[in-house]
Amino acid sequence: MTGRPFDGPVRHLYVHVPFCRMRCDYCDFVSRALDVSGGRAGAEAARLLDAYVDGVAAEWERERAAHDVRRLRTLYLGGGTPSLLRPERLERLLELFRPYLTPHAEVTVETNPEDADDEYASWAAGALVSPATGAPRGVRVSLGAQSFSPALRSVLGRTAQADPAEAFRRLRAAGVGNAGLDLIHGIPGQDADLLAADIAAVLKLRPDHVSWYELDVVEGTALATRLAASRGAARLAGGVGRVTALDSTAALDPAAMPADPADDVRATGYRRIVGELSHAGYDWYEVSNFALPGRRARHNVAYWRARPYLGLGPGAVSTVGARRWTNAADPVVWAAALSAGEAPPRTPETLDPETRARERFLLAARCGERVPLAEVAAVVDQDVAGSLAAAGLVSLHSGTIRVTRKGRHVADEVCVRLFRSPHLRG
Amino acid sequence: MAVVTSLAHIRNFSIIAHIDHGKSTLADRILESTGTVATRDMKEQLLDKMDLERERGITIKSQAVRIAYKAHDGQTYQLNLIDTPGHVDFTYEVSRSLAACEGAVLLVDSTQGVEAQTVANAYLAIDNDLEIIPVLNKIDLPASNVPEAELELHELTGATHEEILIVSAKTGEGVDAILDAIVTRTPPPEGDTAAPARALIFDSEYDQYRGVIAYVRVIDGGFAKRQLVSLMRTDQDAEIEELGYFGPEMKPTDRLETGEVGYIITGVKDVAQVRVGDTITDKKRPAGEALPGYKVVQPMVFTGLFPTEGDKFEELRDALEKLKLNDAALSYEPESSVALGFGFRCGFLGLLHMDIVRERLEREYGLELITTMPNVEYHAYLTSGKMTVVRNPAQMPEVTVIDRIEEPYVAASVLVPTEFVGTIMELCQGRRADFVDMKYLSPERVEMHYKLPLGEIVLDFFDQLKTRTRGYASLDYEYSGYRQSDLVKLDILLAGEPVDALSLITPRERAHLRGKALVTKLRQKIPRQLFEVPVQAAIGNKVVARETVKAVRKDVTAKCYGGDISRKRKLLEKQKEGKKRMKQLGVVEVPQEAFLAVLELEPGDKDR
Ligand SMILES: Nc1nc2c(ncn2[C@@H]2O[C@H](COP(=O)(O)OP(=O)(O)OP(=O)(O)O)[C@@H](O)[C@H]2O)c(=O)[nH]1
Ligand code: SF4
Ligand SMILES: [Mg+2]
Repeated sequence: MTGRPFDGPVRHLYVHVPFCRMRCDYCDFVSRALDVSGGRAGAEAARLLDAYVDGVAAEWERERAAHDVRRLRTLYLGGGTPSLLRPERLERLLELFRPYLTPHAEVTVETNPEDADDEYASWAAGALVSPATGAPRGVRVSLGAQSFSPALRSVLGRTAQADPAEAFRRLRAAGVGNAGLDLIHGIPGQDADLLAADIAAVLKLRPDHVSWYELDVVEGTALATRLAASRGAARLAGGVGRVTALDSTAALDPAAMPADPADDVRATGYRRIVGELSHAGYDWYEVSNFALPGRRARHNVAYWRARPYLGLGPGAVSTVGARRWTNAADPVVWAAALSAGEAPPRTPETLDPETRARERFLLAARCGERVPLAEVAAVVDQDVAGSLAAAGLVSLHSGTIRVTRKGRHVADEVCVRLFRSPHLRG
Repeated sequence: MAVVTSLAHIRNFSIIAHIDHGKSTLADRILESTGTVATRDMKEQLLDKMDLERERGITIKSQAVRIAYKAHDGQTYQLNLIDTPGHVDFTYEVSRSLAACEGAVLLVDSTQGVEAQTVANAYLAIDNDLEIIPVLNKIDLPASNVPEAELELHELTGATHEEILIVSAKTGEGVDAILDAIVTRTPPPEGDTAAPARALIFDSEYDQYRGVIAYVRVIDGGFAKRQLVSLMRTDQDAEIEELGYFGPEMKPTDRLETGEVGYIITGVKDVAQVRVGDTITDKKRPAGEALPGYKVVQPMVFTGLFPTEGDKFEELRDALEKLKLNDAALSYEPESSVALGFGFRCGFLGLLHMDIVRERLEREYGLELITTMPNVEYHAYLTSGKMTVVRNPAQMPEVTVIDRIEEPYVAASVLVPTEFVGTIMELCQGRRADFVDMKYLSPERVEMHYKLPLGEIVLDFFDQLKTRTRGYASLDYEYSGYRQSDLVKLDILLAGEPVDALSLITPRERAHLRGKALVTKLRQKIPRQLFEVPVQAAIGNKVVARETVKAVRKDVTAKCYGGDISRKRKLLEKQKEGKKRMKQLGVVEVPQEAFLAVLELEPGDKDR
């Protein structure tokens, strides 16, 4: 790595699309529900979406002028639900960036199964053109499957019930060459058998990339509220926190919803995912990410290597050098500012050198990447590093430190132990 | 304007009682009804000035206050009231206060009856020749049982039905009768106004700017501002910079006369020169004889105090030094531990005292401390004939050179309803206690006397007593000398390394069981680590118990993309901050509470 974390010209761009058809119960992303079914509400939605695309255009102009932005190596449309924009508006967005992409730029579009119809699939397969041959080159699609069990999806409150496997096959059939799946484990009710079924389904589809997250029940979400209520009910009924096995096709009775699977169950499930995917030839290159050879998500790898990045859109975060800022989350507020020729309201944060070093290390720890000790000497305690190395959790090698695969399972605690006590006050 | 009150119009009294029987609340009502404190300045337990006293709802330090009271005879009297603490750890505060008084209001919660410190404090008052005014409190409560409590008070003090007053310190009912009794029944001070001036220092306080503030009771003669005085025991001369009385805050006056209670500031900064118990006299016309002082209080319980951060040792030393200025009973000496680094072995009067000092150090001096397991002072007699004082298990000499070990015993008295006699006997048996005798206070209540090792009380005897008698028993104890016991040192090993700060001394017959219970407790206290950690208990080289702290299987958040980095980093920083309450012992992180694990052993574990 040359220079300090997040230093250098910007080559990575994230665009946040803060709209969804409906809010999922577990979601705490910046997103709002939008009725795109047509009619009066549909017209309103269309206006909002158009304003959004205009806003992105305006913000892109501003940011390009404000920073040293080079040709983009990666562009990531995330959400929310970017596929909700449909090919027509997605085209309008892509049009903004095409002139600034490197020839082999990775362009990712997060896609929900219910949007992945034939029209969408063929757009995705040909949205870019190979500069050398002139042949169509698809975008990278990241398909939000979450689980192949409809029952588990309904626990998550993912009411759009389109079958993710079918959607994935459609994308493949249309010729999308780089397609990944997003999944969740640790869903209430997801016992060992249900998890095994999801793993089998993934391996059968053989996506290029898999992101498999543990469910994080965030306070304030509908899911958290529902779980708390059902725990209370279960306690009253005398059946405290029992994890029920269920038929993968049966719908779950929310009232009988069991408590969170115990941590050990999650830990076991996670190890199983890592084991089986690794066995099937996937590289476990980050805590929750797996890729076939050559198919790592280059955009995310840039984050994890602490490269500078710009984020456009409501709620998007950017980090360039010592500065990080977060856009206002409200799409109307954000768009209004831009259409008035102003920067959207932002929450800034200054990253001092030690903070940047700590971030550099914690990101590398998640990927098992080597970091020269010299870069993190101010924040990492070398004595602790020695004792963790003795336990096989990190490896020290010619002036570098790396968190091992064994250590990656406990990377948070490894970082906490390694970090010197920061002076956090103020 | 200085109004000189004649001796005949002065009454000095303390309020004494078992803990929580309502002393401070009664003082509130007295301050209120005599107009000493304006209604708008009134608050509950006003005399409990320290934050800690207010939070815990207990009195730690005695507090004096002067009151002007217009009695039924139409005359105005100067009453000097001293509110005292009720907890057994602070009995010495009570005995000092009593030496400044002629009378004592002995308060008894009528819902509880006579309890152990009621008895102990009543005897203290009798020993000091004080007039006792027995009062039953909390008569407003439905659970109040006046006839029963009256019987017990009669048994204890010999007071008749007419002499025992009833009051509600909460509602104020009966307070006036107490004031009247104080005036009519308490004798006025007896001093000689013409004799050379003498004042007893019954307490002191250290003020950063003003030096030592001596709380005094003038016995003979009088004192004035600018007067040259000397301290009879330390032979220190000084000039009175300020004197005055407590109202309840310090109110400067021109003079303090015979019989009065107040304070004297001389500008002496060195506390060692102004000792509690010493006599202040006039420099030019000194008294012939000093007043009898106080017994020096001896700490009974010792524990190691270590800063969590190694570089805070000097700060801890300074803090202890300052705290000692206001707390003569506290003792400390430097100590070093392999596991915990440099700290102090501190001596306390009991566990409450220890807890309070620790909390004051943390709160008033911003220190974070690890407290090791409390123990008593053992005497190890060596085969060479020498004796080694052991205040810390690590100081215990090698078994091979020890001839015998002695430990301190106490004479304890336990007051319980008769139905619990069997329970107490059972409990005491398990604590190596020797039964002495038993006395009926009333048909329903007995006073049982035991001799038992202080070490047993330090552990959890008191808690057990309360638990097993549903709160009905009360305990008082007094040091009674050293006795030989069959004791061994139990070592604790973490990941194979002995941790000196976790060692303890225990009776041989219970060493195995205690070892087992302790490693189990430690296993529960020590959070999962990044690797498996064996926890062992050993006597000498022999491991007597073993448990394993399991390894964490998963500890990593699932998501961390561009928008999550700040949040994620802050989370880890916060966790790091949380680790301040952890001590790194080799590769093992041990929470501070683990060092006190022995105090939390299940009752059953310690009994067998
Ligand atoms: N109902 C009722 N409660 C009372 C009465 N007197 C005191 N209390 C309550 O009893 C508790 C203890 O009162 P304190 O005045 O702090 O007792 P204390 O004897 O000074 O306690 P220590 O100084 O800790 O020994 C408090 O909650 C008081 O409000 C009373 O006459 N009636
Ligand atoms: S689709 Fe994604 S962003 Fe939208 S509500 Fe569901 S989880 Fe949230
Ligand atoms: Mg009190």
